[in-house]
Amino acid sequence: MKQRFCIGFEVHQPHRLKKEFRPDFSNDPEHSTERYFDDANKEILLRVCDKCYDPATSIILDQLDDGFCCAFSLSGVLIEQLEKWAPDVLDLFKQAARHKNVEMIGQTYFHSISSLFWTMDEFCNQVNLHRDLLKDVFGVEPQVLENTEFLFDNRIAATVKELGFKACFTEGVDHILGWRSPNYLYQCAGLPVIMRNFKLSDDIAFRFTCQDWDAWPLTADRYANWVSQTPGDFVPVFIDYETIGEHYWVDSGIHEFFRHLGPEMRRSDVQMVKPSDILSSEIRDEFSIPLPISWADAEKDGTAWIENRKQKNAFRSVQRAESFCKDKHMWRCLQISDHFYYMSCKHGSCGEVHNYFSHQPEHEAFITFMDVLADFVEHSIPSMDKKEFLYPLRTIPIDDAFYFSSPVGLTGHVAFDMDQFAEMLQVAPSDSIEFHHRNGDFAHWCRFVIRDEPLALAIENAQNRQDLILAADTRRHELWNALR
Amino acid sequence: MERLKIAIFCWENLYGDRVGGLSNAATYLAQSLAKNHEVHFFTRGDDDFEMNGVYYHVYRPHGNNVVEYCSDLSRGLVNRFYQYDDPGFDVLHFHDWHVTEALHLLQHRPTVFSFHSTEYGRNGNVHGDWWEYHEICSKEWYASLIARRCIMVSWTLRHEVLDLYKADPGKIHVIPNGVVKEQFDVSIDPGSIKAQYGLHYMTPLITYVGRMAYQKGPDILVDAIPLIREKHWNAAFILAGGGGMRDWLIERTRDWPVQLPGFISDSEYVRLLHASDIVVIPSRNEPFGIILLEAWSANRPVVVSRVGGLAENVEHGINGLVVDTTPEGIAWGVNYYLDNQHDRIKLARGGYNQVDRRFFWDSIKDQVMYVYREAMH
Repeated sequence: MKQRFCIGFEVHQPHRLKKEFRPDFSNDPEHSTERYFDDANKEILLRVCDKCYDPATSIILDQLDDGFCCAFSLSGVLIEQLEKWAPDVLDLFKQAARHKNVEMIGQTYFHSISSLFWTMDEFCNQVNLHRDLLKDVFGVEPQVLENTEFLFDNRIAATVKELGFKACFTEGVDHILGWRSPNYLYQCAGLPVIMRNFKLSDDIAFRFTCQDWDAWPLTADRYANWVSQTPGDFVPVFIDYETIGEHYWVDSGIHEFFRHLGPEMRRSDVQMVKPSDILSSEIRDEFSIPLPISWADAEKDGTAWIENRKQKNAFRSVQRAESFCKDKHMWRCLQISDHFYYMSCKHGSCGEVHNYFSHQPEHEAFITFMDVLADFVEHSIPSMDKKEFLYPLRTIPIDDAFYFSSPVGLTGHVAFDMDQFAEMLQVAPSDSIEFHHRNGDFAHWCRFVIRDEPLALAIENAQNRQDLILAADTRRHELWNALR
Repeated sequence: MERLKIAIFCWENLYGDRVGGLSNAATYLAQSLAKNHEVHFFTRGDDDFEMNGVYYHVYRPHGNNVVEYCSDLSRGLVNRFYQYDDPGFDVLHFHDWHVTEALHLLQHRPTVFSFHSTEYGRNGNVHGDWWEYHEICSKEWYASLIARRCIMVSWTLRHEVLDLYKADPGKIHVIPNGVVKEQFDVSIDPGSIKAQYGLHYMTPLITYVGRMAYQKGPDILVDAIPLIREKHWNAAFILAGGGGMRDWLIERTRDWPVQLPGFISDSEYVRLLHASDIVVIPSRNEPFGIILLEAWSANRPVVVSRVGGLAENVEHGINGLVVDTTPEGIAWGVNYYLDNQHDRIKLARGGYNQVDRRFFWDSIKDQVMYVYREAMH
């Protein structure tokens, strides 16, 4: 039987936040969310269009009539940027999307990590927003979903099924597949799952320019031959679209590789197909995926975005922020996975990848993120109902957060809002709590930073740690209850 | 899920009288349970209070010695218990020997007894011959006999209790302790802390934290120091903690790059963990070894001796190094890390992520609930 080859491209550019953003709480009538985004966004987008989106899409368009098939997963934030700065490149994608050999697949509009949130509501909203966008811009209805960077687990599977998708892509991680091959259709929580063949994907995405590799230089005929020799119902390959010309520049030969991929596949008797064409394959097995998997880093799990304390702080703050804003668009821009990826401080080989992709080193990334979030939250509160209850619960910027200390120095514990302050009163070392309480630091912070007099008074009257915890807990519950 | 009414008996709690690690374990378990159940905590103290959903009921005992003191405590707590027993409690959970007499008075109810250690182990794996020793051992034996179910913090402790007290193995469950990761998972600049100890920020710092007692094996680390310094001349060592062996160790390490700051505060402990490049746990006996979870939470690589809960919980080469309880073993582990920077980071991350998977109180609570349900049937 002829082998079938299914290639997909993830196409995404984030709204990068402005480096060295400083929060400004003056009542600026000119206040607009644009000031949070870096001017480099336009420059980067135009560069990537020039090196990749424009030439690569043209190469693909040329081959579509000859049987080249592929899938595109464009994030909503990328489409926004293309509409604004490179409408001609967007037209190329529109042209491709109209062709019967191209399938547009769904993802979260904001390429976000909302699938890891405490509840799945926001994930559903963003998938639906993206579905509407594809209908508006390309006139198509996606049948298959690809969650941000292939994040996937049982909970996501069940939600995607509920949203009406026919299948979902994820990574063919070894600990889930075990002895099985990724080249068959599987199922999770009742949803058909396409497990990416990461070996054949990484041959293009990671090893293409690796001169130590015995298959270097990789040519289209050799690759097509490998695919034709691969057993299985189909070969699912998925890569970042930016691989073609951005990660690897033109002089690496990547454009030539893709120019010849279609003809060589035909010569090796491989049929190129779209994701929805392979869904008629037999489902070979059912998986349970209790912990998130993804295609990121060597771990292939959620730790690229949520692992260290900074990432966890940012992650909880962005989820809390929902209650404080009406401008859901800006809030969702803060959920873009890239912001969290920049905060990763994995070392070794993964660290190198992160550094290459990172807009700024991890600590500055965290500072910028928290400052933008705090600024956005504080500027949003005045337009909300019951703002007097919301205000004391808001997120505090980096410079004004409460840093726990002790006579020997900082303990490293930090509170960015009243909720976290109450939590830290429980977990910070006892000598640190005594030190601050004796100095009146807690009451001072509550009065002049949080600006909540009832809490400041209750803190002042507290005799011991127990009273402090009780005071903070009582007050925050009082405020949240008033908001319900 | 059915909402149970749970009574916990423990002589210490985190918010009042604290003696050791037992207060953390009992309090955090109670708080986790309180998210779904009604939890009453009977303990020592002067005023009742409510904290994080747990109702604390206290009694202030008196006694001329620890045995009398605990007998009085047990009786007092049982009286307090009956004040809240309507509607009746579904399950009663007792921690360590101090509350054995309360268990005795309430043995007709569904009871669970937790062992955190044994008197034999606390005595350094040696039998004592004084009367309190015998009294405490007999209370431990009796508790293991009459409780409907028992919980041990490690398989090693389970063996110890089976061996010492011939308890019924069929009613014993092994459930590890948890840790509140946020206490230790913070970001501080290690260089500034090293500077406070007079060390250059690039100096590899090897740390031991714990009592200076034979059971904990700080002397094994000290004997390993020359073997480490042979290969890594710039390594520095801090052994923190008070105890009988300290003076002897100070004498032994004279003129070496070793500091023994004695007892350190909680803040200093967090800071010292974060300044460390390697944390060594060279114990000779360790029913559980909570410092392991604390070092992991702080994202530090560990070298542990192959004993008790340490050997059970550390996967060699995945989230730490498990070595022989000898100076040569410890030196091998430390030298391995110093030679393999990449593995040092990898193994530390392995432990850091293991804490989220296995030692998270909310998941440990689910295992405890399973034992409660067995006791109720």
